Amino acid sequence: MRTNSPSGQQYDRGPQHGRGPQQGGQRNNTRQQQPRKKRTCRFCESHDSSIDYKNEKRLSRCVSEQGKIIPRRITGTCARHQRQLVLAIKRARHMALLPFVSDAVS
Amino acid sequence: MIQAPKLYETAFIINASLDDPVIDGIIDKVKDVIVKNGGEIVDIAKWGRKRFAFPIKKKNNGFYVVCEFKANGPLPAKLEHHYLLDENIIRFLTIALDKKALVSRISASDLMKQSAPSTPAAAGSPVEAAPLAAPAAGTSEKN
Repeated sequence: MRTNSPSGQQYDRGPQHGRGPQQGGQRNNTRQQQPRKKRTCRFCESHDSSIDYKNEKRLSRCVSEQGKIIPRRITGTCARHQRQLVLAIKRARHMALLPFVSDAVS
Repeated sequence: MIQAPKLYETAFIINASLDDPVIDGIIDKVKDVIVKNGGEIVDIAKWGRKRFAFPIKKKNNGFYVVCEFKANGPLPAKLEHHYLLDENIIRFLTIALDKKALVSRISASDLMKQSAPSTPAAAGSPVEAAPLAAPAAGTSEKN
């Protein structure tokens, strides 16, 4: 089902399942009009060519309270540094510098 | 074909309940293994007693040591075999440092100076610094 927004932009609303506003409900276009700021990779900004597994203080910022690795769509890390970060975190976990699962969960 | 020696970094954890002379003896044995098999020790840093993030073999802390050395191919395997034979070495990790790691790495001794041990469970054991000849800048210049 294709509809026209007030700005004339066509977008596909998908099949109507009977939930929510079916007719007359206009999509909020404010998000599309305001460009989102791109998050820059913190490691690229600091010009780090590699990430050290021994630097647990820095790695702990990239790990959630439960001890899980935070995905790059949330942190804004680039793909290259995310791969290095994951490797460093796993090495740090092996050397007991970081937990596999934090105490908060258990 | 003679291969150029690579730069390796090994980190191992010694049982913290041992006395300091015994721990020094274990570290000296590791040094001997490296030197006798044609390696050259670049830097060695003793982090001291540090608390684990999770218990290993029902122990909550260990004595961390980080060593950087230059060696040819067979040495890391022999070194890890030595680690496996020694009961007092709880965990170990040996990695080869590539060019990117050499550019941005901090030497093991500098990193030890930056981060103090989190909770020294065993009292009275100060962190010892034993920086060797080649500083971090020197080794990076060699590349």
